Amino acid sequence: MADSQLTEKVQTLIAENPVLLFMKGTPETPRCGFSMRVVGVLDQLGVDYGAVDVLPALQPLREVTSEISDWQTFPQLYVNGELVGGCDIVEEMFDSGELAEMMGAEQPAQAAAPPPPPQGPPGQSPPLQVEN
Amino acid sequence: MIEEALPGADVEMVDEGGGDHLRAIVAAPQFEGLSRIDQHRLVKNAVRPRFEDGTIHALSLSTSTPG
Repeated sequence: MADSQLTEKVQTLIAENPVLLFMKGTPETPRCGFSMRVVGVLDQLGVDYGAVDVLPALQPLREVTSEISDWQTFPQLYVNGELVGGCDIVEEMFDSGELAEMMGAEQPAQAAAPPPPPQGPPGQSPPLQVEN
Repeated sequence: MIEEALPGADVEMVDEGGGDHLRAIVAAPQFEGLSRIDQHRLVKNAVRPRFEDGTIHALSLSTSTPG
């Protein structure tokens, strides 16, 4: 049974933060590789987000999120009140552009493969001819 | 364990370090129509005992539907 006070606190945090990350450590000093990668994605998107360090209350928080979202591992990214997922899902959605769209952020140029430059019609002569 | 919970799934396990950081690449017909997070929930629930007893510390997932 998850601690009801903690559950309430978590639900409030999720409701008050459009983007909320439960992570191990802090954005400045992440304590796990997966948490670090999610922070990296959020930083690339340039969005504001709340961050909760789960390490001081790891097991109680696992119980709370298990009840709220049926998910017990961290990091966990919540956007607009809903669990998006852990590191794998966040990275997949970042690469596909879905995450930027979900957050109303700009997809960074280097993240997605750029579309090939438009091909001009064949046989078109160059606009400028320089003759020496 | 994943194959038991998801009969017909194609599962590939990769050890990403130390035997307790694993990656599972799972293609299962049961994933059809599910969001990524629901697909991941199915796999994670299948292996939850291994998380709880500490055998697995971290599990990376790549899920897809076959074909």
